[in-house]
Amino acid sequence: MELVNLSVDRIIIHQVFKRDEEGKRVAPLQSHDFVNFDNSAMTAFKSRVINALGDNSGAAPMTIVNQGPTDVPTLVNVIVEQSDDDFAVSSFDFAEKLANAQLRRDLLGGILVIFTGNYGAPRKKYLGIIKAEIYSGYEVTRDPDTNEISLNYIEDLLLAPSSRMYKTAAFLSKSVDTDTPPDLNDKWSVLLSDFQMSTKAQYFHEGFLGCGHPETSARTTKQFYDSTRKFIRAMDVKPVEKNDLLNALTTYLKVDSSPTASVNDFATKYFNTDTQDQFGDYMDTAGIPRTAFTKDIVDIEKNLKTRKVKFKSNVNISAPSDAFKNLVVIEPIEGDPEENGTVPEWTRVIIKDSIVDQE
Amino acid sequence: MNEADLKALWEVEKPIYAAWGGYVVERIIADMGDVGIDSNVVLKIKPVPRLKDANSLVDKALYRGKSYEDPYNEIEDKVGARFVVLLLKEIDQICEIINNCTNWRMDPCRHFAAEQKEEPLLFTYQSVHYILRPKDAIEYQGIKIPGTTTCEIQIRTLLQHAHAELTHDAIYKAKNNIRPEIHRTVAKTMALIETTDGFFKEVVEKLSSGPLDELGIMPRLDSIYQLLTGLDSHTQKSALIIWEVYEAFIDDQLVGNIQQYIDRTPALADIIRTRYPENVLYQQSTVLFLCWMLKKRKNRLLDLWPLSMDLLQPLAADIGVAINE
Repeated sequence: MELVNLSVDRIIIHQVFKRDEEGKRVAPLQSHDFVNFDNSAMTAFKSRVINALGDNSGAAPMTIVNQGPTDVPTLVNVIVEQSDDDFAVSSFDFAEKLANAQLRRDLLGGILVIFTGNYGAPRKKYLGIIKAEIYSGYEVTRDPDTNEISLNYIEDLLLAPSSRMYKTAAFLSKSVDTDTPPDLNDKWSVLLSDFQMSTKAQYFHEGFLGCGHPETSARTTKQFYDSTRKFIRAMDVKPVEKNDLLNALTTYLKVDSSPTASVNDFATKYFNTDTQDQFGDYMDTAGIPRTAFTKDIVDIEKNLKTRKVKFKSNVNISAPSDAFKNLVVIEPIEGDPEENGTVPEWTRVIIKDSIVDQE
Repeated sequence: MNEADLKALWEVEKPIYAAWGGYVVERIIADMGDVGIDSNVVLKIKPVPRLKDANSLVDKALYRGKSYEDPYNEIEDKVGARFVVLLLKEIDQICEIINNCTNWRMDPCRHFAAEQKEEPLLFTYQSVHYILRPKDAIEYQGIKIPGTTTCEIQIRTLLQHAHAELTHDAIYKAKNNIRPEIHRTVAKTMALIETTDGFFKEVVEKLSSGPLDELGIMPRLDSIYQLLTGLDSHTQKSALIIWEVYEAFIDDQLVGNIQQYIDRTPALADIIRTRYPENVLYQQSTVLFLCWMLKKRKNRLLDLWPLSMDLLQPLAADIGVAINE
C-alpha cells in the first residue's frame, strides 16, 4: 500500500485531556473551524504524515476488529463522505471516543488531528488521525531594532519532526468504489504508526481505533526470517560476520523488545548503507512488505531456539540461541600449509564452558 | 588599374561587401543555433564583418610585391570576419556548419591541420580560412550581391588568436629585420599553444566522459520525462551535482529500472505536473532518478545527498517514502 501523491483537503483539531486526579474522564474540547495551513506548513504536515506512515516508516498494517455502529472504523466509513459542515461536527466523535478509551490515569492528553484527502491514481479517499502529545520548547526571537536573538519559552508545541511524540493512523480506501461491504476490512486498509506500540499503548489501537494485529503476522514474520537468512547466507562476507548477522537476526526477532519489525529497521541496525539498499531490493523481490509488521514468532520458534553451524567435514555445532551468542566464539585462522603450499582456512571455536558429557 | 581607380571602385562596392559579410556572419550564427550551439557562449569575441581600409587595399594590391593580374578581384579578404572559440573541437563544429551551408561556394580552405601535415617541423601562424562567394547572386538588406563577391572567414582558438595578434602586427609588419632568436621565440610560443590547445581538448574530453554521457542517460531520461508528463525537462547545474555524487549508480540498467518504477507508479505524472510550475527540481528529468533512488537506494541517497534536505523532503512525501532520519 503506497501513499503516493497524498493530498490533504480538510484538517480539524480537537483536544483530549488526561483523566483528572480521581480518575474521571475530562470532556474533550471541540473546535469548529478547519485548520488553514499555508504552503510550507502544509508541505511540512504532509512530510510528517508520510514519515509516520510511508514506505520504510515504522507503520504497520492493522486489521479492523470493531465494526459496531459507533465504533471508530464505522465512523470513518461514514464521516469521510460527509460535507465540510457535517465533517467538522462529527469529527468530534473521534475525540469523544478517544477520551473514553483513555481509561488509565497516566495516559496523557493531546491534540487530536483529523484530516481527509485523496491518494494514489486513480484517486482514493483516506481519513487520517493523529494524536499529538503536547510538549514544551523554545522559539528563537529576534529583536528587529538591535538584531539580538533570544529564546522564547513555548508551552504548547506539537508535531515535531520526530514521530516519537505522536501516534498516527490512516484508514485508506482500497478502491474508488464507495459501497460499504459487510466487512469493513474489504473496503479499508489501516496503517498505524505508534512509537510506543506496546501493551501500554493498546488503548489507542484497540480501545480507540478498534483495530488489532493482522492474523498474517506470524506468516509475515516467518517470511521475513527465511528471506533475511537467505540474504545473509548469500552475502559476500566472511563466515564470522555471517555468524554475527545470523545471531543478530535471532536476537532481533526473539529478544528485541519492540513489538513490530521491518525491513528498514533491521537493515539500519545491522547493515552498512549499500547493503541496506541491496537488502531492501532483495526483500521487495521476495514480496516482504516495506511497512512494519507485528512480530509473531510462533511459526519459527523452533528455528530461533537453536543456532547451528555446519562444517564441510560433517562437524556440527549447535546450541540454544542465547548460549550460542554468549558462549560460542568462532573465528577463522590460517591452517597448516598443504603440500602444494596453499594455506587452508581453519576455524577456531571457543566454548566458554566445560564438557559435561560425551558420546 | 591605378591607385585612384582602385580606391574609387572600392568606395562604390563597399556596401555590397558589407552586405555579404553581414549575411555570412548572420547565417553562420543562425546555423549554430539550429544545431544547438549557443554562439553567445562559444564565440569568445563577437564576430563583426570588417571592410578592408582603402589604403591597406591599395598597399596590398600595388606595393607589396604580389604579382596580381587583376588585383582588385584577386584580393579576396576585402571583407572578413573572425570566429574565435576556446576549443579545437569548436573550430571543427563551425567548419562543419560552413561546409554544410548551400548558400555559398567556397575555395579549398586553408586549414592549419593540413598545413601541419605538410610542414610537420614548422610552428607558425595557425587558423582556418574560408573564402566564401554567394552561390547565386542574392539580395540582402536591399543590396544586390553578385556571385563574384568574396568574404574571408577566419576560425581559430583564443590561443591561436593571441599568437596571430602578436605576430601579425609585431612581426610580419615590422619595418626592421627580425632577429632569428625572435623568430625562434615566436615559433616556441606556437609550439606551446598547440600543446596547450591539445591539453584543453583532453581536459574537456575527460570531463565530459563518464557513464552519464557514455550511456546517454540525460537524453533518454528527458524523453521519458516528456512522454510521461508532456512537459519539457530543463536541466540545471544542481542536477549535475546530483549525478556526480551518485555516479556509482549509473549503469546500463538504470534507465530501464527507472522506467519500471514509473510504470508501477501511475500517480507520478500528476505529481510532476502539479509541482512543475513552483519547484525547479520537478522541472528536470533528474527528478525521475531521485524518485527511483528514494524507492530503491534510499539509504545511500540520504547518506550522500549534496543539497538541502528541504529539496528532498517534499519529493519523498509526494511518492510516499518516509525519510525521518
